[in-house]
Amino acid sequence: MKRLVLILALVAAPALALAAAPMKDGHPDLSGFWDLDMKVARDPALMKRIGPNTAVLDDTGPTEFPRNEYGGLKLKPAARNAADKWDPKDDLSVAKVCSPPSIVYAMQGPFPIRIDQGKDIVVIRLQYYDMIRIVFMDGRSHLPPAAPHTKVGDSIGHWEGDTLVVDTDHLEPATITNNGLSHSENVHVIERFRLSPDGRTLLSTQEFEDPQVLDNRGARFIAWKKQDGQFIEPYDCDPSFALNYGK
Amino acid sequence: MQIGRIIAAALGGAALFAGAAQAHHSFAVFFSSDHEVVTLTGPVKEFHFTNPHGIIEIIVPGKGKADQDWKAETNSPSIMVRRGWSKDVIKPGEVVTLQGWQARDGTNYIRLRNASRADGTPIGTAPAAQ
Repeated sequence: MKRLVLILALVAAPALALAAAPMKDGHPDLSGFWDLDMKVARDPALMKRIGPNTAVLDDTGPTEFPRNEYGGLKLKPAARNAADKWDPKDDLSVAKVCSPPSIVYAMQGPFPIRIDQGKDIVVIRLQYYDMIRIVFMDGRSHLPPAAPHTKVGDSIGHWEGDTLVVDTDHLEPATITNNGLSHSENVHVIERFRLSPDGRTLLSTQEFEDPQVLDNRGARFIAWKKQDGQFIEPYDCDPSFALNYGK
Repeated sequence: MQIGRIIAAALGGAALFAGAAQAHHSFAVFFSSDHEVVTLTGPVKEFHFTNPHGIIEIIVPGKGKADQDWKAETNSPSIMVRRGWSKDVIKPGEVVTLQGWQARDGTNYIRLRNASRADGTPIGTAPAAQ
């Protein structure tokens, strides 16, 4: 009898915990203002979904790799050659300083995001560079190959249990680690988002593969804390900042 | 002239730097990661509070030598506004003390860690770079 009670308790516990998280249209509601929090421990349920041959980068948030350090990513010779030749001051010109990174780098930045979740689309607004992502949840396929590539790419999503899975391609080449390593236009990104049992922490993983640039795959664990009554601030990047660097 | 140099907790050759929230350009690449903090005091010449980074330009009195212009780059103003900063939080002519990490190229340019007014009152509600 005691064993039966224990089993029932173990089965019921996750459901009870999930009940505390907000729901919408039969799924956890990820809507809200979320601020990056580097103190959140990696979520085992998400981490075990990361595929093999993947380097999990420890650079989420303000942490950054110095030159020639890529957190376990295995660079193709051409990518390494480009990284070696990279001059960081080239990025600090009036022409380039306000060019945003792609979501590969932007999602882990120390800036808040806001999510508005609908049934057919999920909007993810990043404070960083005023980026706006639209995740199509209506079952459509990715854009045709010839469609333009952008810094937010083309995102389609679906639910796997309590986890929102977002698949993104059509990304424009941009930095991966902010130190000379860039992904190509063929990078493919899979993100998984789920709520903590109390609904106050947004847990995610970002996996990316780019055989044109990398011999292995990369991943990050990213988490945000919910903050009520907060709003995304405008970024309105001012390119004249680059003049402080002489360009 | 007051350019005090304080050696703070050193990372020693650590592979990562996490002292300052960067916006778009790499802190580790542009600024000294050995945590040598520069302290500067002087009147504000100009203050720009726009993204990706704000700029505080001050004149550090030379005390018998030529005055020196220094610039301090702040964290992203989009972050700073939640820490009590605004475009009017610093006025030209006001004397401030700035602490931060100097540019690797040795120029009179720092990444701001914290700022205070002449009476020692911190500017903003939280350290500028954390």
